[in-house]
Amino acid sequence: MTTLSHGPSGSPGSHSSEEGDLVAGPAAPPPPGVRVRDLVVVYKTPLGELPALGGVGLTVDPGTITGIVGESGSGKSTLALSLLNAVQPPGRIASGSVEIDGLGDVVRLDGDPLRRARGRHLGYVFQAAQNSLNPLKTIGKQLLDLGRSHGVADLAALVRDAKDLLGRMGLDGARVLDSHQHELSGGMRQRVGIMLALVLNARLVILDEPTTALDMITQATILRIIREIHKERGLTTLMITHDMGVAAEVTDHLAVMYGGQVVEHGRTTEVLGSPAHPYTQGLIRAIPRLSGDITKASALPGRPPTLGTLPKQGCVFQERCPVRMDVCATVAPPPVTTHGRTVACHATAAAPPLDGRKEQP
Amino acid sequence: MTPLPNQRAPKTRAVARRLGGHVVRGLVMIWVVTTISFVIIRNIPGNPVLGQYEKLIEKGMSPDEAQRATAALYGFLPTGTLWEQYTGYLKALLHLDLGQSISTPGTEVVTLLASAAKWTVLPVLGGTLLSFLLGVTLGVYAGIKRSGKLGDLLSISGSLLHGVPQYVIGLLMLAIFTTLWPILPPGGPVDVEYVPGLNAGYLASLVQHATLPVLTYALASYGGWVLAMKSSVATVLGDDFILAAELRGLTRGVLFRYIARNAILPLFTILALSLGMLFGGAIFIERIFNYPGLGLLLVNSIGARDYALMGGTFLVTTVAIIVANIAADLLYTVIDPRVRTGGAA
Repeated sequence: MTTLSHGPSGSPGSHSSEEGDLVAGPAAPPPPGVRVRDLVVVYKTPLGELPALGGVGLTVDPGTITGIVGESGSGKSTLALSLLNAVQPPGRIASGSVEIDGLGDVVRLDGDPLRRARGRHLGYVFQAAQNSLNPLKTIGKQLLDLGRSHGVADLAALVRDAKDLLGRMGLDGARVLDSHQHELSGGMRQRVGIMLALVLNARLVILDEPTTALDMITQATILRIIREIHKERGLTTLMITHDMGVAAEVTDHLAVMYGGQVVEHGRTTEVLGSPAHPYTQGLIRAIPRLSGDITKASALPGRPPTLGTLPKQGCVFQERCPVRMDVCATVAPPPVTTHGRTVACHATAAAPPLDGRKEQP
Repeated sequence: MTPLPNQRAPKTRAVARRLGGHVVRGLVMIWVVTTISFVIIRNIPGNPVLGQYEKLIEKGMSPDEAQRATAALYGFLPTGTLWEQYTGYLKALLHLDLGQSISTPGTEVVTLLASAAKWTVLPVLGGTLLSFLLGVTLGVYAGIKRSGKLGDLLSISGSLLHGVPQYVIGLLMLAIFTTLWPILPPGGPVDVEYVPGLNAGYLASLVQHATLPVLTYALASYGGWVLAMKSSVATVLGDDFILAAELRGLTRGVLFRYIARNAILPLFTILALSLGMLFGGAIFIERIFNYPGLGLLLVNSIGARDYALMGGTFLVTTVAIIVANIAADLLYTVIDPRVRTGGAA
C-alpha cells in the first residue's frame, strides 16, 4: 500500500469499504486544495533553456472546478503536467512549488512515492483525441494493471468499482471492460479515461481538453458527467480548455493564461462577465455569437508568443496590448488580488474596473 | 459509433476465412512463380547436354563415345517443344515429382533438396532466432535509453554489424576460430567418423560444426534487429498511451511490457519473412563453411545448368516465403486485436 501521508481526516478510500458508494461519505477527507507558487518550467532548445512557465502562481480552492484557458502555447498543458511533476523532457521544472493537500510539494516528490501519487491521488484525463489506452489490451486488463501497480489487494472490488463508475456514466461496464480501445467510440473512450482517473479514488482530477475532438452532443454529455461526478465524489477538478464556452458551462473559477503566466484568475462569472485583463477582454471579444452580427467578433491582433518570442522583460502581453503604458516594457506586472480576483496588469492596477463592466469603444 | 462485436466467435471464424483466402492466393502465386522461373531457366545461356559432352571430351573420351555417354545419361530429358516441356513439368509437379538431377545423375531432385534443407534449417534457423532474441531485447534498451551511453553503444554496435557484409564476418570468424585460435572445425557439416544418429559423438560434432555458421548468421543479422526494434520502440514511446500509463502511476515493469509488446508487433513481419527466406539458404555462409545447404545447392545447380534442380530450389524458396507470409498474417490475427476484429480504429 501507499506510504504517502494523507490529509488530516484519514486515508484514501479503500476498495473494500467504499464499494459501490460513489457519493463521498462523511468519512471521506475533504477535497484537496492546490497552491502553485512561482513555478518556472523551462524547455531546452538550441537557443538555450527558454521558459514555458515564467513564475506561475495559482491557488485552487478545495472542491471547485477551475478552468485554465488560453491559446495554444500559453503553457496550460505544461501547467497541468507540472501538477503531477510530469513535465516531459526536454522540459523541466526549474523552480517553484506545487503544494497539494495530502501530498505536500509535488515538485519534490520523485521515484516510487511520485509514481504512487499519480493515479491514486492525482487523476489525469487525456484529450479525447489522444489514444490514452494500450491498443493491445482490453480495458479490463489495463484496469488490473492499474490496480496491481498501486498494490490494490481486492482486485474484484476494483473491477466492481470500475463497472459502477462506467455504469454511472451510462455505459455497460462489463462490456466496456471486455473491449479493446478500437472497439470504443471517442465519447466511450473518454468515459473510460475518466473512470481510470477516478477508480483509485483520486480526489484531485486534472482534465486536459477533455472534450476536444468530440461531437457537440457527446461533448455536452461528457461535460455533464464531469460536473455530476465532481459533485458526487467531492473532487477538486482542474480543466484545461481553449474553449471559452466549455469553460463558461462547467467551471466555478477561471484562470486565464498567456505566455506562460496566469494573467487573470477569479470566479468564472466575474472573469467572463467583466474581464479585467486586456487579454481576457480580447479573448472574449473574439468569440463569435450565435445570434447577432458575426463581424462583431474580432480576433486579437498579432500572434501569441512562442518560447523564443516572449518579451525579455516587462509584461508578456505588451506587444498585443491596446492599453499599453511605458512601464509595461520594463516591469512585469505583479498579480494583484482584490475581491477574490487576481489580475496581473499595470493598466488595471491603475484604474480597477472591477466594480463595473469595462466598456470597450 | 463502432458497435461492440461479439469477440469470441469471430476470432476462429476470422482466422479460418483469412486462411482460406491465403491458401487460394498462395497456390496462384506458386503457379505464377513456377511459370516465370521455368521460362527464365530455359532461357539461361548454356546447354547442359553440350556442357556434359565437352566435359567428357576433356576427360579424354572420343567424340563418339562422349556423345553416346551423354545420350545415355540424359535419355530422360524432356525432348518436346517448350510448351510440351512446360505442361509435362506442371503435371509432374502436381504429383510432387520434381524430376531427376542432371549434375548428380540418377538422383531425385526431391532427395537432394531434403538432404540440403536439413543443413540449411539448422544453422539459419538457429542463427535467425538467436539474433532475433538478442537484437530485439537489446533494441528495447537501445530505444528506451537512446539518449544515454548504453543506448549509443548498442546503436553503434547495431549499425556497425548491420553494415558489414555477411561474408566478411564469416571470413573473420573463420580466421579467428580456426586459425588464430583453433578451437572449432573449419568446415563441413559433421565429422565423417561418427555414425549418424543420437549418439554423443555425432551430436557433439554436429554442434561444433554448426557453431561458426550459426554465430556468423546471428552476428550478421543482429544489427538489423537492434536498429529495427530501436526505431519501433522510439515510435511507441512517442505514443500518447505510454505517457497516459505513466501518469496513471503504472510500475516500470508494466510500462516496459506495454512498450515492448507494442514495439515488437511490426517486427514479426520481418521475422516471418526472414524465416521464409532462410529456405533460400545463406549462400555466402554455406560457401565459407562448406556447409551443404540449400544455398550451396542452388549455386551449384546454376553452375551446372541443372534445370530440374534449379527449378526445385526456386520452388522450395517460393513456397517457404508464401507459407511464411501466411503464417505472419495469421499470427497478427492472434496477437493484434485490431487485426482480429478488422476494427477501423
